[in-house]
Amino acid sequence: MTDFLSNVRIRSGNQMVAEGALRAGCKFFAGYPITPASGIYKTMIDMLPGKGGVALSAPDEISALAYCVGASLRGQKAMTATSGPGWALMTETVQYALMTETPVVIAMVQRLGPSTGGATQNAQGDVLLVENCTSGGYTIPVFTPSNPVECYELTHLAFTWSELLRTPVVVMLDKEVGMTSEDVDYMRIHDLTTLSRQRIAQSGNGSNGNVDTYYFEHPEDVPSFVPVGGKIKTTVTGSAHNKAGRLQKNSPETLEVLYHLQKKIDANANQMELVKRDVEDGARTLIVSYGITARTAREAVRRIRKNAEKVSWLNVLSLFPVPENKLRNSLHGIERIVIPEENFGGQYRSVIETLFDDQDIVGVNKIGSMITPDEIIAEVV
Amino acid sequence: MPQQYETYLVDGVKFPFCKGCGHTHSVRHLDKALAILQRDPTGINLVSDIGCIGLVDALFSGIHTVHTTHGRSTAFGVGIELADGILHDSDLKTIVILGDGGATIGLLHIVHAALLNVDVTVIVCNNYLYGMTGGQHSAFTPYDMVTTTTPSGNIIPPMDICSVAQSCEAGFVARTLATDKNLAGVLAKAIEYPGFALVEIMEICPEYGLKHGGIDGKKLKESIKEQNKPLGILVNRQDRTEFSVQYNNSIDTEAYERLKKKNEFTIKKEYTSSLERQAGVVIAGTAGERVQLSSYLLLNAAIASGLHATQKNDNPVTQGSGFSISEVILNQDEVYYTGIESPDYVVITSNDGLREITANGLLSRCTDETILLVDASLNIEGVKGRIKKLPLRKTFGADRAAVGGLGVCVGGAGIVPRDAFEREIEKRFREEGKKIISKIYELTDAKFFSENA
Ligand code: SF4
Ligand SMILES: [Mg+2]
Repeated sequence: MTDFLSNVRIRSGNQMVAEGALRAGCKFFAGYPITPASGIYKTMIDMLPGKGGVALSAPDEISALAYCVGASLRGQKAMTATSGPGWALMTETVQYALMTETPVVIAMVQRLGPSTGGATQNAQGDVLLVENCTSGGYTIPVFTPSNPVECYELTHLAFTWSELLRTPVVVMLDKEVGMTSEDVDYMRIHDLTTLSRQRIAQSGNGSNGNVDTYYFEHPEDVPSFVPVGGKIKTTVTGSAHNKAGRLQKNSPETLEVLYHLQKKIDANANQMELVKRDVEDGARTLIVSYGITARTAREAVRRIRKNAEKVSWLNVLSLFPVPENKLRNSLHGIERIVIPEENFGGQYRSVIETLFDDQDIVGVNKIGSMITPDEIIAEVV
Repeated sequence: MPQQYETYLVDGVKFPFCKGCGHTHSVRHLDKALAILQRDPTGINLVSDIGCIGLVDALFSGIHTVHTTHGRSTAFGVGIELADGILHDSDLKTIVILGDGGATIGLLHIVHAALLNVDVTVIVCNNYLYGMTGGQHSAFTPYDMVTTTTPSGNIIPPMDICSVAQSCEAGFVARTLATDKNLAGVLAKAIEYPGFALVEIMEICPEYGLKHGGIDGKKLKESIKEQNKPLGILVNRQDRTEFSVQYNNSIDTEAYERLKKKNEFTIKKEYTSSLERQAGVVIAGTAGERVQLSSYLLLNAAIASGLHATQKNDNPVTQGSGFSISEVILNQDEVYYTGIESPDYVVITSNDGLREITANGLLSRCTDETILLVDASLNIEGVKGRIKKLPLRKTFGADRAAVGGLGVCVGGAGIVPRDAFEREIEKRFREEGKKIISKIYELTDAKFFSENA
């Protein structure tokens, strides 16, 4: 039953991504239509200009993300939304954002691939495509909501980490999460604190009174942001560079910058860990899930417990960096980890397997239609 | 007396380009153009591309420089300028500089910038080839020119970027030689122009264009003539409004207020549902016949009855033809699993819908308890469940059959309180809604539903 003191609206996950972005102070959105992500584009077009922001169409996904990165370089919080085929076009610019330490949020609503695949069919097949999109293998933070409230909160959180770390962050949905509408009680949204990138102090930072666009003292530090177009000169580049933003080949300082891009994320990985847990004493199986299958898994758990049997459940909300500590802390007495995913290879499972090689890890995998609760139950001991 | 800027180049600048390269001329002229304009350096933003010309950012001092990826320079520049123009109201001037290779791979970005008329100046340094990667031909290479990738001479006509810009309503378009003494003045005009401006600078690349293609200064002029490419300021329109001005003027505050109000509509719990266990309802019909709308009405009614409910729709990739399927799940508790394993209620209004839920396996998952309300015109066989044939299309009309059929189902089976669903029908269909409701009563066979319960 919904609460007496409730504030209930009908919302899809896509709409809540847009609303979460607005709540985070997103001021710029450039979009390109693609099923199943178009709902985000439409909601931003409807709402952002009324809030004093810019929402506009781009002629392709490459431009959409490049416009967002440009707007962020100017100092504005920016987001775009796409699905697998659009993501394929964006990866060049995702890397540019990473290299230039430009905050930007990309909402990625998965559909069935490969190629144009099935526009209206669900899948969770882009997990590794998104995470492994950079030359060099840098960590792209990825958040995976499974319902509209999480869509709102995790998009807000994606902005927070993107701003604090100055790096591109992905909110990854799947078609079922993005396009299913349901009752959403706004009273259930947590209090959220909005944070923004640290801006440069007027006095500058670098050597001899100059401001180095990418200045940091320790490799894990995040440089203070200097907006392009402000009163302090910026030197932005997507090529290997020193702290001043000057193209350099293999100088010790350039290599330091390249390590720094990953170290700043590693240093915050513990803090970024986010899971929802329902651990039961005496359970021997832990179901690890994310996105829409987290809901399927939760239904499986409901049924298993109704039968007076024990099982534990963990919903990964911060897919990358992998929430290793929180996962490890959930393994007490666990003999088997079941990972349902709507992809055929078990993409997240392949990542988890490398971390917990002493565990019995099995997948429930399927493409073309939703995994059912009973299919998960069949793998639970 | 404000500071005078004689040059914006770094002290003792050393050009990284080969001897005689057109890029050196172009960059010097760009510097002179900036000196003509006498802007504060931080009021200038130079966005560069990949290729030999991409080395330009390190040659300037004091101005913002953004070195980007190949061909995307224009798109990044547009992003910066959109945010600057609309959200900052500063008078930053963004200049994009790229080669003919960058203009080839990033053509759409130039096209869109011109269409938007965003305040960006794009300088295309056209030396007919890709210098940095070894003299390969580009989309700008003239007929017959020998490059490292056209050893028998180029057989593809060269692109005319000025014509492209012009056809995209660019407000300012010019083409000059890199050695033209008026180039600085032309560039200054382009940068000053309040909107999109494009300048194509015709250059030679001594390293490849001259060595392989024989393009020296004289040949360059001849080839421009052969290509029928006029020189000089080709377009200077006063009739276009710069994009940020147009964008800000276009904002209809009242329209956004209305959208906001509509969006903030909340549903109050005004009914009580006696639903005992989760129910899965499927409506299958034809696109354009209000299938998804009718299940949306059910969703509203369910939530107004204090239930949790989900709705999802399916249709072919085209939106307005073929089947339309909608699934609604209702529960007193939170709905976790959003799929329907075995449907409790199925309303089928057309052959499109019947075919689809047969093909996707949903019909085969019906159980003996499933209630199916099926339009009288349809043949349905070998399906489990209690089937009731009703003249839905005949009674309600094609585009009201879904809402009518669902009304019969809701009312008869008591999925949600009758009043709650009827209120939604009246809200949506006004006067006509009353007629729909009375027809729903006529078609509801209480005995069928009570036998089932
Ligand atoms: S290769 Fe050609 S374009 Fe590049 S610097 Fe040398 S002459 Fe100039
Ligand atoms: Mg060239």
